[in-house]
Amino acid sequence: MKKTEICDLFGIKYPVIQGGMAWVAEHNLAAAVSNAGGLGIIAAANAPCEYVRDEIRKTREMTDRPFGVNIMLLSPHAEAVARVVAEEKVPVVTTGAGNPGIYMRQWKEAGIRVVPVVASVALAKLMQRAGADAVVAEGCESGGHIGESTTMTLVPQVVDAVSIPVIAAGGIADGRGFAAARMLGAQAVQIGTRFVVSKECIVHPRYKQQILRAKDIDSVVTGRSGGHPVRALRNKMTREYLRREQNGYSFEELESLTVGALRKAVVDGDVDYGTLMAGQIAGMIEEESTCREIIEGIMTEAEHLLNQTW
Amino acid sequence: MLEKLIEIVAEQLHVEESEVKPETDFKADLRADSLDLFELVMALEEEYDVEIPTEDLEKLTTVQAVIEYLKQKGIE
Repeated sequence: MKKTEICDLFGIKYPVIQGGMAWVAEHNLAAAVSNAGGLGIIAAANAPCEYVRDEIRKTREMTDRPFGVNIMLLSPHAEAVARVVAEEKVPVVTTGAGNPGIYMRQWKEAGIRVVPVVASVALAKLMQRAGADAVVAEGCESGGHIGESTTMTLVPQVVDAVSIPVIAAGGIADGRGFAAARMLGAQAVQIGTRFVVSKECIVHPRYKQQILRAKDIDSVVTGRSGGHPVRALRNKMTREYLRREQNGYSFEELESLTVGALRKAVVDGDVDYGTLMAGQIAGMIEEESTCREIIEGIMTEAEHLLNQTW
Repeated sequence: MLEKLIEIVAEQLHVEESEVKPETDFKADLRADSLDLFELVMALEEEYDVEIPTEDLEKLTTVQAVIEYLKQKGIE
């Protein structure tokens, strides 16, 4: 199996990174992905720092391979979590929802590989200058909080703009997507939705069932009007949200629908009023598999495709 | 300085120059999101030939704040 720069940078076998999905990406999933040769990620989301420390230690009990923590920079606990990952010397940190500049020195001193998730060329350039080791260029096909550009358009433009390795994310769930990302210049892929329906993932079975049932057009984006777009599977909640959004309801009236809704989906399996975050590729995912089956399947298919010529 | 800055802000955030005053807040008044602000910073760096470290971005909230920031960097 061929390696890429990202394999050497992170010390992993396969250039497949698991997305830092809030509530979903905890130690069981992260350890399973790392044990399968990819890079598992724990999502710190809005959690307090001691929860994150606990998750890091539980992951270490389950794997001796490298793994990462995703830090959501808008979290009220971001500063404390930033300190914890440095204290715990987590191998890789990915960041979302903003600019990790103020933490960069602290992390580099702890020997951490820093990988901001970016949705524009300008941010990618700023992050490279601030000392990032790589960037995840995430297109709006992704589930959860998204930017404006698609993976197809964003990845090659970021690849052209920076000299550090680029990891493609958004809309990738099989070997074809991996091969396409390589063609666009990416050194690895980050995959979210496909790992939500892995056997090791702890989300409620009804959440997984909704992804497996989803068709190509079953995700929608809510929150565009407020400047914080989120992609999730269509359900009663998104329908009501979009109705309110079109009718100019206030931010608070919109927010009341989504407060705690991700937890409802992940923990309670509320598929009507929970936020079933998932990417557009959900329609293609047909079965629950182990993380190892997912990663090895992707790599085998991708290698076959990339060796073909026409 | 103010005139040129207003021109840059108006162009980057796609608003009329008349909407941009010294006290104008990029996020609150002009509805700029974080990606818009990164674009604005890149444009400022290019215009004033200055490097704005990423940890300073949070200070650049209004036109006046940008003027004061650049002044500290020796640009008037």
